[in-house]
Amino acid sequence: MIEVKDLTKNYGDRLAVDNISFCVKRGEILGFLGQNGAGKSTTMKILTCFMPATSGTASVAGFDVFENPYEVKKRIGYLPENPPIYLELLVSEYLDFVANLRKIPSSNKKKKINAVIERCQLGDVRNRLIGNLSKGYRQRVGLAQALIHDPEVLILDEPTVGLDPKQVSEARGLIKSLRSERTVIYSTHILSEVAATCDRIIVIDRGKIVAQEAINSLGAAGATTKTELIVQRSAESVAQSLRSLQGVKSVHYQANGKERIVVETEPREEIMAEIAKVVVNNNAGLIQMSPVQLALEDYYLNLISGKRGVSI
Amino acid sequence: MRGSIAIVKKEVRTYFASPVAYVVLGVFLFLMGVIFAKFVALYQQYNMAQQFGQAQGITLDKLATYLYQNMAFILCFVTPFLTMRLFSEEKRQNTLELLLTAPLRESELVIGKFLSALTLMLIMLIVSFIYVLFMVLWGNPELKIIGSTYLGLALASACYVSLGALISAMTSSQAIAAIWTFIALLFLWLLQTLGNGISASLGPIQWGPTLVYISPLGHFNSFTEGLIHVKDIVYFVSFTLFTLFLTHRVVESNRWR
Repeated sequence: MIEVKDLTKNYGDRLAVDNISFCVKRGEILGFLGQNGAGKSTTMKILTCFMPATSGTASVAGFDVFENPYEVKKRIGYLPENPPIYLELLVSEYLDFVANLRKIPSSNKKKKINAVIERCQLGDVRNRLIGNLSKGYRQRVGLAQALIHDPEVLILDEPTVGLDPKQVSEARGLIKSLRSERTVIYSTHILSEVAATCDRIIVIDRGKIVAQEAINSLGAAGATTKTELIVQRSAESVAQSLRSLQGVKSVHYQANGKERIVVETEPREEIMAEIAKVVVNNNAGLIQMSPVQLALEDYYLNLISGKRGVSI
Repeated sequence: MRGSIAIVKKEVRTYFASPVAYVVLGVFLFLMGVIFAKFVALYQQYNMAQQFGQAQGITLDKLATYLYQNMAFILCFVTPFLTMRLFSEEKRQNTLELLLTAPLRESELVIGKFLSALTLMLIMLIVSFIYVLFMVLWGNPELKIIGSTYLGLALASACYVSLGALISAMTSSQAIAAIWTFIALLFLWLLQTLGNGISASLGPIQWGPTLVYISPLGHFNSFTEGLIHVKDIVYFVSFTLFTLFLTHRVVESNRWR
């Protein structure tokens, strides 16, 4: 549905997007993850034909964004980082304006507007000035704007920024409900968000793609497994013995009060048995032994710090 | 074309949703009121002088010419307030992103913006028919001259608005757009005086008449005298089209920068 190839964008001397390639299948929700200024918004602006790339190609639904922007624009719904709303218009006037911009035939217009108002739960505010609405409602008006023409592709740039927790979960629900009917690209720097909504993520750092994974294979992708041990006594000596085991990468322990050890190992099951044996041999009084799921957060920071050679 | 209509609808709605339209109309009518009061006083003087048999070649039509020349100048003041927000506000509010990612051609956008500000100008011209009404009720003006004057005013408005739109497209600050539009219009207006002051021709070009020709003032004045010259119409139309073309280019370039 969306194909990006060797895309590069310079702003003067600054390289914003550096030779990235990826594709998105129909009906997929792709999370675009990266820090602020990593190049997420720039990529999205290129895909929506708002700005041209310095080099490389991108196509949406088979139409090239440089050669056939008109066809591409017709198929995309786009919510920029700051919702493009007119504070001095009523919600209904604004949606009517967007429907006209989108060239929705007037016979169909009313129906589409009502449908999108219902979908984004804007019924209560349809006759209010956008300028008087709260941030959450404004964001929803922005989303309604992107959905009004039933686009095949939705590009959402940080759609949940500035929303309160309840609104965030509503927005996620809305985005999830689009799954399978639409292709969605969704950018954020909040990790739990991609975990909650996306099928696949692309991590982008300083203009480069540093990882592309399906969301459920993320845990394994870290290439290490962490195990947490809680013991009654002598955490220090257990830790010493664990260090000498083959396949153990690092051991951290905490001895005062609560005796706790975190072992980082290669992801092999046999190592678990070895670890258990060591603990028993030391007569440490094992209370708990549990795998630590490599959190998305860790994974993400690893990727970025690995790349930069800085430990965070 | 549908895109342009959508833009015009939204813009006109925005003018009247904010104080802009009311303030501009109010200021315009106030200034015109002051000038019209002066106009009436002059007309009375003329009538009195005529009663004593010493009328001095001043007629109602001559006075109407002054009135409308003043009006064309006042429109210069008013235009920047109508055109300043056309593009600059879209840039500031990030709504240009909406317009340029919708299936809307840049030409539709530019034409829509131009027509919406022109609509407001035409509303002002229509409101000013009240002076024509007064003249008809208490005098005997030459209506054909007034007709040609209004044609001139409409053409001049189009040319002012196109220039304002161009300048608005070049900045994201309304204030800067307004100031530069005003300066540009004033400069064009003063070219007439400047050109008349240059008598010598420098090199092969006769600078004096050239500057006079570039200024809209002379072209407009012939309309107020009841003269509809093709060259004046061509001047206004080509000025407007060329400026709109430049505006189109500037809007297009927003995405390249």
